[in-house]
Amino acid sequence: MNANAHWLDERRAEAANRFAALGLPHRRIEDWKYSDLKTAVGSANDDGAASWTVGNLTDGVELFDLASTAEAPAWVKAHLGTLPQNAMASASFAQARTGLALRVPRNSAAGSVSLEFSGAGSTRALIVLEGGASLTLVETRAGDAFSNVGVEIVIGAHAQLDHVRLAPYARDAVQVEEYAMTVARDGLYRAHLFNGGAKLSRAEFQIALAAQNARAQLSGVSVLADGTHADVTTHIVHAKGHTESTQLFKHVAGGKSRAVYQGRITVEQGADKSDSRQTAKALLMGERAEADLKPELEIFADDVKCAHGAAVGDLDAGSLFYLRARGIPEAEARNMLVRAFLEEAVAEIADETCRATVWQAVEVALPGAMAP
Amino acid sequence: MLEIKNLHVAVDGKEILKGLTLSIDAGQVHAIMGPNGSGKSTLSYVLAGRAGYEITSGSIRYNGEDLNALAPEERAAKGIFLAMQYPVEIPGVTTLNFLKTALNAQRRARGEKEVDAKTVLTTVRKRAATLKVSEEMLKRALNVGFSGGEKKRLEILQMALFEPKLAILDETDSGLDIDALKLVAEGVNALRSPERAMLVITHYQRLLDYIVPDRIHVLAGGRIVAEGGKELAHELEAKGYEHIVGKAA
Repeated sequence: MNANAHWLDERRAEAANRFAALGLPHRRIEDWKYSDLKTAVGSANDDGAASWTVGNLTDGVELFDLASTAEAPAWVKAHLGTLPQNAMASASFAQARTGLALRVPRNSAAGSVSLEFSGAGSTRALIVLEGGASLTLVETRAGDAFSNVGVEIVIGAHAQLDHVRLAPYARDAVQVEEYAMTVARDGLYRAHLFNGGAKLSRAEFQIALAAQNARAQLSGVSVLADGTHADVTTHIVHAKGHTESTQLFKHVAGGKSRAVYQGRITVEQGADKSDSRQTAKALLMGERAEADLKPELEIFADDVKCAHGAAVGDLDAGSLFYLRARGIPEAEARNMLVRAFLEEAVAEIADETCRATVWQAVEVALPGAMAP
Repeated sequence: MLEIKNLHVAVDGKEILKGLTLSIDAGQVHAIMGPNGSGKSTLSYVLAGRAGYEITSGSIRYNGEDLNALAPEERAAKGIFLAMQYPVEIPGVTTLNFLKTALNAQRRARGEKEVDAKTVLTTVRKRAATLKVSEEMLKRALNVGFSGGEKKRLEILQMALFEPKLAILDETDSGLDIDALKLVAEGVNALRSPERAMLVITHYQRLLDYIVPDRIHVLAGGRIVAEGGKELAHELEAKGYEHIVGKAA
């Protein structure tokens, strides 16, 4: 981000102090138990500048380059760096020299915008949907280095963001992402994460359902080949009543890979009639694969509905036999069952084009993940 | 067509079938009756090739070929069909897509030309009406949310579609009310043919009132203890298994 933007100085100094105090997370920190970032990063320096590209920018969507020396618009100043930051979000905020800000103005439908992050180092993004605005954001990760992307998302009243994040297989990459967001009254955040696996991949969501009828619907699939890792960690805060969150994550882990899901739900005092559901399932394709699924509830309200479930297993022997007994060869039958397992999560994507894109990514990753 | 000689089968190291001998010719319908735990389902699974059912001695020959050497999918392609007692539910696979995939897999294995979705649908429709399998069922995920009767009807629909040479019906009557039973039996009877052999496995005589077998074998303790014509079913019904099994012992 522009070093001469002095209005940012204070926020950046705070972030730098926070990161200095917290340091690079490692596995002795509870939240990072299954993702040893410090070891994975090793001697890699965060001295690069990750880059971003925005495509299909439609009329009415405002884009501001955070590295630009131009005076930042008021909406950037109002929101950038204002949402909660964990250690890595503080690091990206303090260190990023690149970044972007997107704004969809009140009541406008922005259609589908693509966003790609690539290269090494930190970068930041701010996405603001004003009241009644809507946007489909298709985000892709590229590169095989250590990168740390921090994204802030502000969803206004009655606004809707459909977010699809694709992280294809990247054997040597260490990819860290933090998404912090706040959803206003009747706002909707829908996200789907595809993880093809990296040396270490961590996508962390900090979501505040800040007003009545705010909703978040998260889903995702991880399709992991030997030697890869994918960690999805979410924290959804039901700050007000009548808020709703759903989560559905499916993982297929082959070889010596590791799939992680940590989902914490907090229902704050007075947030009655909140409804949260979270499900995480993993299929292990061999003895060496590992899945760590950890749903967690913190409820401070009285009248809430919270459901959670997690299951780790292998392909159902009865189903496999049934398909084979009807003439379907074993490899094809296994494939059908794995696809069927993932289907439920991919079906959460409302947009047909996005759904097809995710299936394509799954097809590419599946042969690797099917190997024990 | 099917020749089982002195068959011993173990599951988890425990012997379930203890010297079963049976043969069926093309065009015949045989029934296997027996009390719970006699080894009826084990016989059906070992014929279809389910993993974990180990033949410790004896043999199964199908059209002269050693069945034990074949994978389940190879047996299916060669014309063996098992209508299962508990058809599995597979979410995420639509019924019609499953039917097409299975039919084409069998055809491919036999070196036959694959058929397109439309042809499958036309063939399925012809049979579906008499079995009361609705179009809506075909669009749903395989067996998911199907009633017991719907699952069994779909098994028979598959049998009609795959046109097997040897059909094994494992407790097809279980969980069916009398109307559903008649419907399924009609479906099965329509498939009786001089080229096809059927093995109907059941606990109750009731099913055999509707699918009348050429021969009945009574299975108890892992071997055939009595054999006879269709009248044996009524004797069993009147006197119970104890009577027959006790006499044989």
